[in-house]
Amino acid sequence: MKVLIVCTEKLPVPPVKGGAIQTFIAGAIPNLSKNHSITIIGRNDDTLPDKEIKGGVHYVRVPGGLLETYREGVVDYLKNNTFDLIHIFNRPRLVLPIREVAPNSRLILSMHNDMFKREKIDTEEAQKAIDQLDKIITISNYIGNEIVKLYPDAQPKIQTIYSGVDLERFVPTYSVKGQRIRASMRQKHKLESKKVILFAGRLSVNKGADILLRSMLDLAKKHPNAALVLMGSKGFSDNRMTDYIAYIKAIAERLPIPVITTGFVHPDEIQDWFATADIFVCPSQWEEPLARVHYEAMAAGLPIVTTARGGNPEIIEIGKNGFIVEQADDPREFVAHLSKLLSSPSLCREMGQYGRSFVEKNHNWNRVIDDISQVWSGIDYKIKNNVDISSTSNMNGEKEEQLLTKKAVAEKISPIEKKPIRPKQKQPIKRITTASIPWINKEILANKASNY
Amino acid sequence: MTSLEQLITPWDLDETLADLYVPPFIEEMAQQVIKQYNFNVSSMEVITTKADKGGLIWKINTSIGPKSLKILHRKPSRSLFSIGAQEYLVNEKKARIPPIVKTKSGSNIVEMGGKIWFVADWIEPLYQVSADIEGAKLLSNAIGEFHQLSKGYVPPKGAENASRLLRWPNAYKKVVRKISWFKNVANLYSEMLTSKTILSTVDMFEEQAKKALTMLEQSSYQQLVAKGNKEWGLVHQDYGWSNGQMGPGGMWIIDLDGVAYDLPIRDLRKLISGSMDDLGRWDIDWIVGMLEAYNEANPITDELFEILLIDFSLPNLYYKNVKDMLFEPTIALNSDLDAIVQRIVEIDKTKWPILEQLRKEWRGGKRK
Repeated sequence: MKVLIVCTEKLPVPPVKGGAIQTFIAGAIPNLSKNHSITIIGRNDDTLPDKEIKGGVHYVRVPGGLLETYREGVVDYLKNNTFDLIHIFNRPRLVLPIREVAPNSRLILSMHNDMFKREKIDTEEAQKAIDQLDKIITISNYIGNEIVKLYPDAQPKIQTIYSGVDLERFVPTYSVKGQRIRASMRQKHKLESKKVILFAGRLSVNKGADILLRSMLDLAKKHPNAALVLMGSKGFSDNRMTDYIAYIKAIAERLPIPVITTGFVHPDEIQDWFATADIFVCPSQWEEPLARVHYEAMAAGLPIVTTARGGNPEIIEIGKNGFIVEQADDPREFVAHLSKLLSSPSLCREMGQYGRSFVEKNHNWNRVIDDISQVWSGIDYKIKNNVDISSTSNMNGEKEEQLLTKKAVAEKISPIEKKPIRPKQKQPIKRITTASIPWINKEILANKASNY
Repeated sequence: MTSLEQLITPWDLDETLADLYVPPFIEEMAQQVIKQYNFNVSSMEVITTKADKGGLIWKINTSIGPKSLKILHRKPSRSLFSIGAQEYLVNEKKARIPPIVKTKSGSNIVEMGGKIWFVADWIEPLYQVSADIEGAKLLSNAIGEFHQLSKGYVPPKGAENASRLLRWPNAYKKVVRKISWFKNVANLYSEMLTSKTILSTVDMFEEQAKKALTMLEQSSYQQLVAKGNKEWGLVHQDYGWSNGQMGPGGMWIIDLDGVAYDLPIRDLRKLISGSMDDLGRWDIDWIVGMLEAYNEANPITDELFEILLIDFSLPNLYYKNVKDMLFEPTIALNSDLDAIVQRIVEIDKTKWPILEQLRKEWRGGKRK
């Protein structure tokens, strides 16, 4: 098939300036070019040509920044170029303008954030956009459910494809390589005898570092050998200090245990902090789509404590690879889970190992590529057999398994029964090395610059 | 890299430089920017700098009269929204707002150093209105007129859609959240002089903020904002005795950089509660005078008035003044914060009966 990938207006592909979506595209899409003719359209960048062919993939770069500006460039390009399939990333607002100039193309939308929220897109436009789509791929069930809550018609089109992690770069703490990194990092940061709790993310209200810090007040009483590492691009010593950073600094200064803010960590070195830690905590307060750091922590063989927010609990099997804090803003719940883990190194190890095998099985990039490939094949089938957009039949003529049954959605929404929907376990299809995926090493690393 | 290729970023983050210091490369850029205009400059004077943000205003004397030359610190797409608004208000609505001077090529702006620069008329003479009820009425009427005239504005191509219309609930939640931070920090630093004062007042103000949020959620806010950005028009966001001044033909409004779509009463709320803060107590006659003067230019519906009362009931003054304790609590909690909080508590006591009175007596744009 002739496929056009439409990136967002914010950051260029390959992800020379980082970005989770850009990393995802660079990691997964070019590999599909063996079977399809792929063009990737994205925003321009000083360091990249406006047009190039690389690894068999065509790149077109148009002015970005504002969606309106970008939309114009995409639409102009499509006036003179036709595609069988147009796969749009995270921008429902591009669907209708694209449909107007590509009346015969099949359209797929990949959703990485809740961009269907009322404040992000007008209801009427959203409904019309959904009507035009063959498929909506989401990075978590949470994102899919949020769309279905507002637009029930979208349900049969939605499919979750969880993201992947570089399993060779994020090595388990207990591996030989992990041990080596761990020893040198611990020495360098004077953490030799410490139990290191790791947080990775922006220091912002949404990410909840303040709640974690407050939980340390009590935790430190029982576990005086604990230490907290906050890995994020902004540290306490930043000149432009926000109210929030001032606040968490004020808490940290009253703690009897060491609190390290790493400041900016070079993309190549992020895995080193994961290898140094004993426990990973994601205290997110907002309804997060599903933070990548969970995959990275599991790849590093760390037990996880995360919150019941957004898509994060979907990849946690309670007591096996992590624990879930139900009341995200209650430091006491963090204390309970962390205390249990800190008291039992063997439990940490067991859970870490389980987490590693979990991501090896479910979150390697090959699985992601395979899933997308299957979706594309389904579209190919529909084109060849003249099956219209709204039909959800697959190549075997059977009704496709609907990811979210009405009951499942109801369960998800119901405040009483808040059981996370488990990801479908899938076997990796075939083993390929990351070297065969252009950019995956370099660019996924580069992405971290903005992620942290 | 030549100095003209440099990016303008905040140049005095730790506030060690003189107030009116301008980095040489920015002065060099200013000369380049001026070359793009059809006038000669005989002298230029730095009026104010936003060194911590990367903004600047010069007064320049030119062959076609006095002008202002500004570097807007916000990102270009955001600044274009404000420039577009300024042009709309002057050209389409004949508002008393400084007209923008175009470049030789007919543009409103020059982009250099990653920022938007622009030139506008320097209105002379301008006088601050008196700091009394009469002055407050003039200001209220002028901002009402501004709100009225700004309805229908559509930003130009390439500009961001700057809107705070839908953000009220989040802004309220932020106040609730930060007040809880004050409490946490005061508890952690309980040995400090002022911690006791904070702890003895914080619950009351936290409660007020929560109640305001609930009232906002139960009000007609959602129906009101559903009208949309264009229908509501623009709010100045930084309006007061210096950005509204008396000049040729009446009141002039200047410094539009921060304008955004919003519910108009946000400006009015800030103007009124700021005046009450200066006065040291809430005063019904002042408020009614200001409301009437505003209403004359831009009528306030009863639904919108309800939002104004809710916005008044948020502990804005406490929040604004106590916020600084988060920075260096060991210093802040030993300073004059104690006296400030005491004063705020006293002012707050006078606020509630007045709000009650307004709730009862204000209907259909006037006092019953």
